[in-house]
Amino acid sequence: MPYDAMSDQTDEDLLAAYARGDASAARALTQRLAPRVLAHAYRMLRGDRAEAEDVTQEALLRLWRAAPDWRPGEAKVTTWLYRVTANLCIDRMRKGRRQGPDLDAVPEVADDAPSAVETMQQAARAEALQAALDTLPERQRQAVVLRHIEGLSNPEIARIMDIGARAVESLTARGKRALEAILSGRRAELGYEGDD
Amino acid sequence: MLDAFFDAARAEAPLPDGDFMARLTADALAEMPVAGVRVRGRTGLWEQLVPALGGWAGLSGLVAACAVGLWVGVNPPASLGLDDWWNGTGAELGELGVDPLSGFELALMEG
Repeated sequence: MPYDAMSDQTDEDLLAAYARGDASAARALTQRLAPRVLAHAYRMLRGDRAEAEDVTQEALLRLWRAAPDWRPGEAKVTTWLYRVTANLCIDRMRKGRRQGPDLDAVPEVADDAPSAVETMQQAARAEALQAALDTLPERQRQAVVLRHIEGLSNPEIARIMDIGARAVESLTARGKRALEAILSGRRAELGYEGDD
Repeated sequence: MLDAFFDAARAEAPLPDGDFMARLTADALAEMPVAGVRVRGRTGLWEQLVPALGGWAGLSGLVAACAVGLWVGVNPPASLGLDDWWNGTGAELGELGVDPLSGFELALMEG
């Protein structure tokens, strides 16, 4: 359950309150949903924060405009929002013809002493994962991010991506294999030497 | 091995800053329907048709009139003499009190 000023209410309850003109529901929903949308857009858009913010703003605007016609029980707000966000990201990537980054261009982790600092190592790992994710096909990236970073269940991902649960399993399995292949070569520099 | 990378990605998730949150909240409030104002919903053909025909009272009158008309057509009262009329044995128009050539038309014909 999200922790905010109205944490006892579901997203769907808050959206219904928003549609009735409840300003506190507008604020609570924004606080609750914006970080999730931004994080998902950021990962889908290869770490481009400015683009991710644009997508977040657009996705939430669409939610506000859909609120008056929202049918309770038909869809979860987060499922709908993840789908809209991913579609906006994919549209942008296709329009911009953004190519995946060259793995050699991924920032290297510094070899000297500060790299041993835990926080830096964590940032380096996150950055390396993002770079590896960027090389995956869009749908694989979306499935892996939703399953392993956002922590959603396969049935929910299937609804978001409009595919079957088995297709989700297949996408995540292939995505993980590709990530392992890319990241295994960087284990030592990312602090995995000697541990598994 | 990947789990540690996923954990790191979660820990390093980008957070919206204050300005961005303020902008998003302003959007939400600007788009919010005004309390008490009926939101434009989906109205079907039936919902539009009933008021156009004078509401339920008008509609019930219309249905009653249609039913009577249908009944008269199916089983006409003998007093109308329609059977005779169809069979050609009934009264001619003149006998029914209807003048097929009115005074006005006679005046026209005679100049």
